[in-house]
Amino acid sequence: MVSITNAHNDLIHDAVLDYYGKRLATCSSDKTIKVFEVDGETHKLLDTLEGHEGPVWRVDWAHPKFGTILASCSYDGKVIVWKEENGRWSQIATHAVHSASVNSVQWAPHEYGVMLLAASSDGKVSIIEFKEQGVSAPIIIDAHTVGVNSACWAPVSYEDGAAAGEQPKELRRFVTGGADNLVKVWRYNSETQTYALEDTLSGHADWVRDVAWSPSVLLRSYIASVSQDKTCIVWSQENNKGPWKKTEVQQDKFPDVLWRASWSLSGNILALSGGDNKVTLWKENLAGAWEPAGEVQQ
Amino acid sequence: MSINNRGDPFDSPTFGKSLSLKVDGGFNAISINPSARDVVLASRQGLYIIDLDDPFSPPRWLHHETPWQVADVQWCPHPAKPHWVVSTSNQKAIIWNLNRSSSDAIEYALHGHSRAITDINFNPQEPDILATCSVDTYVHAWDLRSPKRPFYSTSPWRSSASQVKWNHKDSNIMASSHGNDVFIWDLRNGSTPLVKLEGHKSSVNSIDFNRFKSSEIMSSSNDGTVKFWDYSRCVTNSIKTVQTDFPIWRGRYLPFGKGYCVMPMVGGDNSVYLMNLDDTDHEEEFGNTDCVEKASKLQPIYTFKGHSDRVIDFLWRSRHSHDTFIDDREFELVTWSKDCSLRLWPISDILYDKVNFERNKRLEEKLPDYQYMTYNREVKGNVVDNSNDYKRVKENFVTTSGLTNMNNVNHLNWLSGVRMNDEHSPADMFEEPKLHNLGEEVSAIGHKFPKVVFEKISVSTGELVLTLNGPWDENDPDEYIFLRIEVKIPADYPCKGNAPRFRIEENDKLTSATKQKMMKKLNEITELYTDSGLYCLEQCLHYLLGEEVSMDLERSIDEPLFYLDVPNVSEFNDFSSVTGTDMTDASVESSSDSENGVFKSAYDDGAEIRNTFGRNLAMDSTPVPNECGAIWTSTGQLLTFFSTDNKVDRKQRTSLKLTREQLETKAQEELKSDKDNVNNMLDGQPSDVRPKRYVDTLVKKDAASHVSDSSSSEESDSDDSFGSFVDDWNDIVGNDIVARTQVPALLGNFGKSFGSVHSESVKTGDSSRVIKNVIMVNDFSNLITESKDLALQYDIMTEFPEEMARHNALAAEKYGYEEISHCWQILSDMLMAEKTDSFTSFTWNSNPLGIKWFMKEAIVHFELEGNIQMLSMLYCVVANLYRDNLESSESYNVQDSYKSLVSYNFDDSKEVWKSDVNSQYSTNNTINSQGDMSYKSKILASLDNHSIRSDEIAGVNQYLMGTRVANSRAMPTSKRNSNIGFPTPIIPALTRVTDISVELIHDDVLESFRNSVHEILEPNDIIKCKRYVLMYAKLLYRWGLPMERVKLLKMCLLSSAADLHDDMFTASDLNRVNNNSIEVNWITSSKTDNFVASCNYCNLRIKGNMFVCGNCQHIMHMDCAKKWWAIGNECPSGCGCHCPNEYDVSP
Repeated sequence: MVSITNAHNDLIHDAVLDYYGKRLATCSSDKTIKVFEVDGETHKLLDTLEGHEGPVWRVDWAHPKFGTILASCSYDGKVIVWKEENGRWSQIATHAVHSASVNSVQWAPHEYGVMLLAASSDGKVSIIEFKEQGVSAPIIIDAHTVGVNSACWAPVSYEDGAAAGEQPKELRRFVTGGADNLVKVWRYNSETQTYALEDTLSGHADWVRDVAWSPSVLLRSYIASVSQDKTCIVWSQENNKGPWKKTEVQQDKFPDVLWRASWSLSGNILALSGGDNKVTLWKENLAGAWEPAGEVQQ
Repeated sequence: MSINNRGDPFDSPTFGKSLSLKVDGGFNAISINPSARDVVLASRQGLYIIDLDDPFSPPRWLHHETPWQVADVQWCPHPAKPHWVVSTSNQKAIIWNLNRSSSDAIEYALHGHSRAITDINFNPQEPDILATCSVDTYVHAWDLRSPKRPFYSTSPWRSSASQVKWNHKDSNIMASSHGNDVFIWDLRNGSTPLVKLEGHKSSVNSIDFNRFKSSEIMSSSNDGTVKFWDYSRCVTNSIKTVQTDFPIWRGRYLPFGKGYCVMPMVGGDNSVYLMNLDDTDHEEEFGNTDCVEKASKLQPIYTFKGHSDRVIDFLWRSRHSHDTFIDDREFELVTWSKDCSLRLWPISDILYDKVNFERNKRLEEKLPDYQYMTYNREVKGNVVDNSNDYKRVKENFVTTSGLTNMNNVNHLNWLSGVRMNDEHSPADMFEEPKLHNLGEEVSAIGHKFPKVVFEKISVSTGELVLTLNGPWDENDPDEYIFLRIEVKIPADYPCKGNAPRFRIEENDKLTSATKQKMMKKLNEITELYTDSGLYCLEQCLHYLLGEEVSMDLERSIDEPLFYLDVPNVSEFNDFSSVTGTDMTDASVESSSDSENGVFKSAYDDGAEIRNTFGRNLAMDSTPVPNECGAIWTSTGQLLTFFSTDNKVDRKQRTSLKLTREQLETKAQEELKSDKDNVNNMLDGQPSDVRPKRYVDTLVKKDAASHVSDSSSSEESDSDDSFGSFVDDWNDIVGNDIVARTQVPALLGNFGKSFGSVHSESVKTGDSSRVIKNVIMVNDFSNLITESKDLALQYDIMTEFPEEMARHNALAAEKYGYEEISHCWQILSDMLMAEKTDSFTSFTWNSNPLGIKWFMKEAIVHFELEGNIQMLSMLYCVVANLYRDNLESSESYNVQDSYKSLVSYNFDDSKEVWKSDVNSQYSTNNTINSQGDMSYKSKILASLDNHSIRSDEIAGVNQYLMGTRVANSRAMPTSKRNSNIGFPTPIIPALTRVTDISVELIHDDVLESFRNSVHEILEPNDIIKCKRYVLMYAKLLYRWGLPMERVKLLKMCLLSSAADLHDDMFTASDLNRVNNNSIEVNWITSSKTDNFVASCNYCNLRIKGNMFVCGNCQHIMHMDCAKKWWAIGNECPSGCGCHCPNEYDVSP
């Protein structure tokens, strides 16, 4: 078991392994991002990336076909894209369209190109597609009036019902959770080249802190949303259409607010973490209810 | 909102006044609109367009990120193209069209230089001509009607160019400075300079042609001299040299009169110096043919002094009457400095006289007229540029909706950076802390009342819309009501009789009686203040927030509203979490108290370190950051991170709890009276004990850490003024959960970053204060249904599916996957049964014991379980069966004869007719298949356009696999076909084979095979399963098992190009793993590239000789092919083709 202590001088807010599971990027309130090389039991600090002027909330690795690229978002309202070349990290793009803290950043599925989804406390989400020569063309959407706390892409999927031989219609979607207690599903419209609200899911009684779309393309789509109201709701939709079904992961409230939700790569297990400094794992049983599957405590 | 976009320059509210604008963001270049209304600032983030007539409106931001500092920006000086701005972006020059929307404003990018451009200059006569010069020593002249390449280029080769300028009179002449020399070029003269002016001892930074005498030019240099040249008379030396005591960055002639301005690079008091050109000397010299150089010292007649850092550039803003022959131009100096301020400096009439500028002189030709309008507003959509029909364009262009798009710039902060003054005393006006206009008032109250939200600020039209929460509920005085208020402010405010008018929006909680009472009081306040010519918005807001408003003017005047250190003040306000006045009162009351002093300094430190990025903290809805988290990794491990607290922490926590109780009892009365409303401010809910917002925790952590300080030093807390933060404290420790989660923070983690007091204690080695955190990887792979171990063990490709199933069952058993093992076991048995029964005419497919039923159930089950590995593997079995089937069906005909597949058809009476057709129309058939083939090769080509590598093509081949497998054995047929001249005879054969394999078999024995293929899975399931396979393939790839992945894809991808698209990039990832040196351009994803293919052996790109297998179309370097075929006979791409058997591999 790899264990890294005191990587940062302050609270850690995110830690993500890259595509191959070889490198770990962590970010912290100390305004830095650290990149570790992880190999079995050992780890080695490769670099410390400094550039943000505020606490760094989230980091995300881009798909390796684009190079060794990392995106980070911070309280300073910026999204910085970092690239490693020959062992040296440099900032290759700064995205500063938001007027408040950027709370989450995520790369789109690589099939869509080099595209970032950023959610900010200014109530907007922005989708930035990096095109040639550093020109970026952000699409900015007013998503949640008080602030957007999290945004997550759906896995690449296609609309059902395409006739044989016909190219099935691409279904490019993402989900946002905000301080208006709502979860919203957005869908890309390739004709207008923008994202339109597809569904609004209400069920939480307080700020939605994190949303996570299951990477699985199994029978149904799953979205997990965790909230300040100490609940986690799993929303599911059959065959990418129709209404979203609401399932509470646990009937009773969790002991403390929930901060983060994460799906395993094939979407079987949901990991929730919250204010009680505990991580709980959940698994859907064959009857469609969620059962605890484990627990991690520091 | 109706802002006058097409005004008269003489209506300008800012012309002739001093003005200072703070613009942060590292802007390095500035230029002014010819109509002198807008200025453009350029930085690495893009351009800001600032309307000088409405400096309170935020700038328009044209976003353009470049890694390099913008060297120069210039607004097109021609009346014909007032919407053009050119800026540099390293080696490119970018022409912006401001009539377009900001996201799409780039009209041209001029790319001709190989290194950074240093200067750009529009031709003063030809609107479409401009010149650029660069570090690469070249000077290019461009015609924007054909912007692809420069129409004129020249270079002195030796040193990089610093400036290029066109002659004002002769549009064929331009000058450029290179190193210490200045070159004059004539476009008609080719690249031979007309004149080379030598004389400076250090490099020349700036050159400028005389506007009135075409052959005169001035040059300013690092050697501290300004030289004036007249190359028509004298080329060996300058006619005049002026010595200064600083290196000169810019030196230019005045646009009026006879004079010039210089500006230092360093030193020189950060000022701009204005000199006159002594004309009398000139006249004397005129007859003098031998060039005598006059030398003199710099004798400024005026110095524009006031910037605190070096001036980056200066320019002239001018205005004159429309359509006139009278030279009534007025000027104003605009300076942009490194201290991030833009200033306007009015020019007095005395100055005009001093430089011999005769105003109101009759002119021979009209002065050029420019449309006086601003480009500051965002343009919606594209407006067709029609320069002939000017007026119409303007009408379309004017939009009033610009401000809604201004989300990039915080309006309040922008406002606070604007200072304006009527007085002609630029030197000291900037320091005077006094309100001068509405904009400053709004900015000041905006910072003073962070909880008041300004929805709309329009200083120029005097409109404000603001929202706030005030205690106006009749029933419950503690209840706060959300109010939305419109304020209309007359233009002459705050003069007597010009009181602002308020309008409170309807609200169901607000009774009409209260509303009337409020309106009455507001009117009283506004009248009282405006009668004395005083600004009154602050008092109105105090009233609206439910505070006492002093109607005693004398007292309130003593309290200055204006804060110079605006950010600090806002911090302080926000922190105290009580309203503004309460805060000031409190600090006044307790100013003698030392405790309060400490208190305050702690905030100041906090404010300094805690960067709020100029936001209104009351509106900051950033949630409390997570302190722990868990993220799944691809291998079924869980990456977790926690913040930890150790035993020492816990001890301190209990002691703190005690302190808290003491504090609570002591300050109880205070708490009751003073209700904090920061938390419910945003969502309107009654006070929520748990902080949600990041800023709240910051505030509280500061306060909390302060409490910890005071408690540890046994500080007595009987002081009354302490109550205000006990109040905060109470908020934090409102319940135990909060107390618990707050503790780590309280013990110094935020103290470290935000409070210098605590960072000291960290330095002294108090380890308990250092935050501890830990990142762990926990193995939960047992929970994940997919297993890497199994993936390694599983057979994917086999000739005998039943054995594969058996093998897999054993593998699953070995790793303890009982259920999966059972499943494989059953499947194996069933397959075995199928096999042995295959020559009987009965199948059990739909029987509950049959394989079809079993597969369906298994799929449903594993879908519920979400086991993608199993789903894919099941499909794999089916695919194996399919393959198997094809091979066996084919083996029949192989045994039959080599003649052809068609002959086989004759056995089937039902197919006779069809086969007949086949043979009869054989020519026709081949033509069809030829078309077919070309279609397929088209797929290949198009795939290549998407820069997919050969493995992708392997994918395509797999798409054809079902047929190809048969095909490879059917080579004799195709060879026969090759006589009719097919270059690659395989594919025609292919189509025929497929036809046959599906249609021809009408035999009981064969029936069972057919069924096993087509009916084991339903079409819906097949589609689904293909998706699972793709997903599993990705998983395999992430697990670092590319071989397994390829096998899987090969087996299962009997899919269309769409599916291929889905998996398009994973194959190139494969390449990446195989060969890390492959450079993937991360920016281009779908750019159509030239035909690029890689060798399937070494993975490098192929140029020159290559080997192409005529069967599977895979390619290799000639050398690689030699090496490869020496050791094996299967295609290195893994496609399964035995190339040497099918094709002549000898080079």
